[in-house]
Amino acid sequence: MLRLLATIRKEWQLLLRDKTGIILLFVMPVVLITVMALIQDAPFKDYQDIKFDLLTVDNDHGKLGAFVKEGLAKSGQFNIIDSIDGKPLTEDEARKLVNVGKYKISIIVPKGSTAEIVSNANRIVNDITKRMGIPGSLPVKLRPDSLHVTIYFDPAAKKAFKSAIHQAVDNFLTQVETDMLIDRIQRQLNSKDSSHVASDTLSIRLQAVGLKEQSTGTGKQLDVISNSVQHNVPAWSIFAMFFIVIPIAGNMIREREDGSLLRMKLIPGSYLNILAGKMLFFVGICVVQFYLMMLVGIYLMPLLDLPKLVMGFHQGATLVVAIGIGLAATSYGILIGTIFKTPNQALNFGAISIVILSAIGGIWIPLEVMPEKMQVIGHLSPLSWGLDAINDIYLRNGDIGFVWMKVVRLVLVSIAMLTIAGYIEKRRMA
Amino acid sequence: MSGIVVNDLNKTYKGNLEPTLKGLSFQFREGSIAGLLGPNGAGKTTTISILCGIVRADSGEVTIFGKHQDAANRETIKQLIGIVPQQIALYPQLSAFENLTYFGNLYGFKGKALTEKIMHYLEIFGLAQNAHKEIYKYSGGMKRRANIIAAILHEPRLLILDEPTAGVDVQSRSMILQFLRDYNQQGASILYTSHLLEEAQSICNEIAIMDAGQLIVQGNPNDLILQHSQCNNLEEVFLYYTGEALRD
Repeated sequence: MLRLLATIRKEWQLLLRDKTGIILLFVMPVVLITVMALIQDAPFKDYQDIKFDLLTVDNDHGKLGAFVKEGLAKSGQFNIIDSIDGKPLTEDEARKLVNVGKYKISIIVPKGSTAEIVSNANRIVNDITKRMGIPGSLPVKLRPDSLHVTIYFDPAAKKAFKSAIHQAVDNFLTQVETDMLIDRIQRQLNSKDSSHVASDTLSIRLQAVGLKEQSTGTGKQLDVISNSVQHNVPAWSIFAMFFIVIPIAGNMIREREDGSLLRMKLIPGSYLNILAGKMLFFVGICVVQFYLMMLVGIYLMPLLDLPKLVMGFHQGATLVVAIGIGLAATSYGILIGTIFKTPNQALNFGAISIVILSAIGGIWIPLEVMPEKMQVIGHLSPLSWGLDAINDIYLRNGDIGFVWMKVVRLVLVSIAMLTIAGYIEKRRMA
Repeated sequence: MSGIVVNDLNKTYKGNLEPTLKGLSFQFREGSIAGLLGPNGAGKTTTISILCGIVRADSGEVTIFGKHQDAANRETIKQLIGIVPQQIALYPQLSAFENLTYFGNLYGFKGKALTEKIMHYLEIFGLAQNAHKEIYKYSGGMKRRANIIAAILHEPRLLILDEPTAGVDVQSRSMILQFLRDYNQQGASILYTSHLLEEAQSICNEIAIMDAGQLIVQGNPNDLILQHSQCNNLEEVFLYYTGEALRD
């Protein structure tokens, strides 16, 4: 126990004297998560609460044009612009403005589109009433036109964004066509039936089954969405924790180079006590780093007009996961420090490998948006296990029972890395 | 009674075609100041590493104070040995006192007894005034002296020093050599490697010259000089046996 405590105290003294190390371990991660949360705030808001200017050109001046404009305005995502400098927009102007990237999207409702929808609805109603043996017919165009509502997108717009807008406008078109069809059917039935069908019966039936979003969790429900802070703070905290590899590996290589490792190994007693003291200290540092970053998410981020970090209800589980991540990071540092012979080699390999593991592990961008093959590879990264476990607690209201498998994986990979390091060190002595 | 007995040691490192040690044998008496001398690449460091138990020999035997260097005796032998590496094996950002406290704790010493022991040695080595100064602020000689203290906190019966006076000024060298004589007078054995043959001649009462992994000659330095009428000092004896060709 004395050896273990003495090692922890020695590492603490070394850290206190190493101002650069303190900056690297605590200040840089704070700056990193703040910058990443700020710059990724806009992309995360794309589909949430950012309002886009939307150019509309209504050449129809009928119900369809009005309905599309009204519907898009009501969605809250768009500022509808149909004139510039007091002049109504033309299709050509709108196309050019979107093409140069001044606006992201433009919708052109073609002339005669409402008439085309009405004619189509009349054709269907005529067909129905004819089959029912009810005389009379509504007017239809003899030669239907093939009309399209045209959408222009900024060439730099993201595919997901385009697809969301496309779907929304398509829904509006379907809605208008359905409304007109029902209206025509009601009118035709009313004119032929003296018992008088209630005018809103069909519309009530059509709204009988609605759509409602419900939380998937049980018990206390969280109203948390994955925003920039909720992704970036835990993700980059894990990244920063893994950067402890650099001081650990450097420290181990220096001890080997200057002979202090030899001195320690020649002192009676197991070197494992000394190694355990070193590991406990660095795991402790990782956990302190983690909670410091969480405090930044809770208290600093809101001051920068970013959402406040929500840590869920299971703080015990969070602590266990943080320890698991710290253990994996520390073990990786010991492995790197054992494999490489110079601090420069360890620094370069350590830093680059963490960047790669974090990129494939969903730290930079969530794994879900990566290609399927990358997702499979990404799930092999210990950083992704850590992030998944934190997301399980923060976003899915998970407790220790929910995340234990991921923690076990982190512990097992740590044991594997320490075993490899031990084997390499043993071979070195042979 | 024999202090160190090395018998037919062989060692070839993995990946090397040439053996580093080829049937090396020598012995030093307990209580001697012994010099293990040889040109670069002779196998001195490997021999010391095998003596300490941190490198395993392919074959051969090492006995220290009657105990075989094997897994069963490793911990006992560790307690008997103190090693002063050629490098300054101390943490530069920590003070001498903090370094010595740490290594003392690893030996199981603590509290007032450890503090008194540390201050006693710092006094002997002329470092008491700078006990709380960080090692990186020390001069080369001060670092060497602190490096020795870290190896003797547990008062080993055998002190192994790898070039303990390399790069130090005359005063520090004189002080270190005097300490080794005094420590030896208290009953400890000393095994010492150096390229400073004049120094070895003055301090050692036994030497072994080795080259290419084998023992070349062993004996009392003055006797060896007398045995070679053409040699006036140990350096000339050394060159007589190892030749003047440059070594890598």
